[in-house]
Amino acid sequence: MKTLAIKTHEAWLTTLMAGFMSSGENKQKLFDFSDILFRHFTWLERELIAEGEAYDYDRDTIPVKVDKLSVILNNIVVRLNQIDLQLIGIDHALGQRISSDLYYMRDVIAHLPDEEITAFNMERKYENISLSEEATDALTVFLFEESYKEYELIMIYNYLKAHSEDAYLNRIFQILVDESFFHLKSFGDMMAKMGILGVPRVISKELYQVEDIEKFLFAGIDEELAAKEECRKLSEAVASNSPKLAKFFDFINNQENYHIELMKDALAHYKGDTNE
Amino acid sequence: MKSVDAQLIEHMMEPKNYGPMQQADSEGIGKNPENGEKVVIYLRIERKDGKEVIGDIRFQAIGCTTTIVAGSMLTEEAKGLDFQEVERLIEVTMQLLENVPPEDAACTEMVAIALKAAIETYEKRKKEADYPAITYQIENSCAPKEEEE
Repeated sequence: MKTLAIKTHEAWLTTLMAGFMSSGENKQKLFDFSDILFRHFTWLERELIAEGEAYDYDRDTIPVKVDKLSVILNNIVVRLNQIDLQLIGIDHALGQRISSDLYYMRDVIAHLPDEEITAFNMERKYENISLSEEATDALTVFLFEESYKEYELIMIYNYLKAHSEDAYLNRIFQILVDESFFHLKSFGDMMAKMGILGVPRVISKELYQVEDIEKFLFAGIDEELAAKEECRKLSEAVASNSPKLAKFFDFINNQENYHIELMKDALAHYKGDTNE
Repeated sequence: MKSVDAQLIEHMMEPKNYGPMQQADSEGIGKNPENGEKVVIYLRIERKDGKEVIGDIRFQAIGCTTTIVAGSMLTEEAKGLDFQEVERLIEVTMQLLENVPPEDAACTEMVAIALKAAIETYEKRKKEADYPAITYQIENSCAPKEEEE
């Protein structure tokens, strides 16, 4: 089961990256399939917890640099086959559901039209917007920092949710997972368009195996404030070249306000619970 | 990070030697006491021409993109070196950092001291197999000067 979860984690990220790379009709299909694979991962995680099996979010490095979409699509099919092999002997409903999904996804992916990939050309041009060298550098570093950060947040909140039976907290954690998915997809798309797509690195255990939730939430609020500041700086840096891009970063900045309120809410609820 | 060239972008897109190492011979930790950022370096040591050399090296970090790039570059440099050469690499790296603003130097320093700690842990484990991973703290401050005031 543990190997199954790791392989599903890797297949989810590979499919998500393929979605970023695609600039045609394949994109939405690949995003949908990556979402399904993420859900498989969370369901498998619950099984691991229920069975008391130790697990973590470690995984192999995922090479994704390709010139043609078909290369990464073939790789995804191989990964899905490997997951299917791991399902042999798992007869319950979850195993059957995953197996059925894999059967369909493999067939669709194998027949998707090919595309030339420019997501790794390092041209660092975004949608014909002419940015100064300084603004381009700032945007580049921001995208690497924040795409990793959003992946990290997805994994942390997912882990907390998987290990909590508190419906109030889990509602908040789910919103934060969904929000981070939107940010990760936005930033990943920008990275692919700029030719600097990279897979977020493996997250350290001590980040998600949170021992002190209160301390974690306090630190999380500080991090959200720091992220707001980064968005503000970036918006300023690109404003003279592209008011459209500046508006996007203001929009992301303003979204963080609600995250901060949610985390404060979670903190108050948690403190109330632990003080009872 | 001052300016971003193609080499740096490649390290950002695909950091070299990133991730945990199963059954490492040694680990070393570099820490920033100001913000909890840290780097762990894992080593596998081999014997080559009668010398101990770094056969494999991996790193993991809780830190920013600059730390990841520094880890990627320094671990690539360290691979295959004997201990004397690694010491020299650390020394040269630290000398280079003297000319860099402290807030930019902090991330690279964290990687360099983690490497130093990993080598020293390895030496300690020759006498005591369970010797814990050595941790060093950085001296440069990650906070830009104006923010400290």
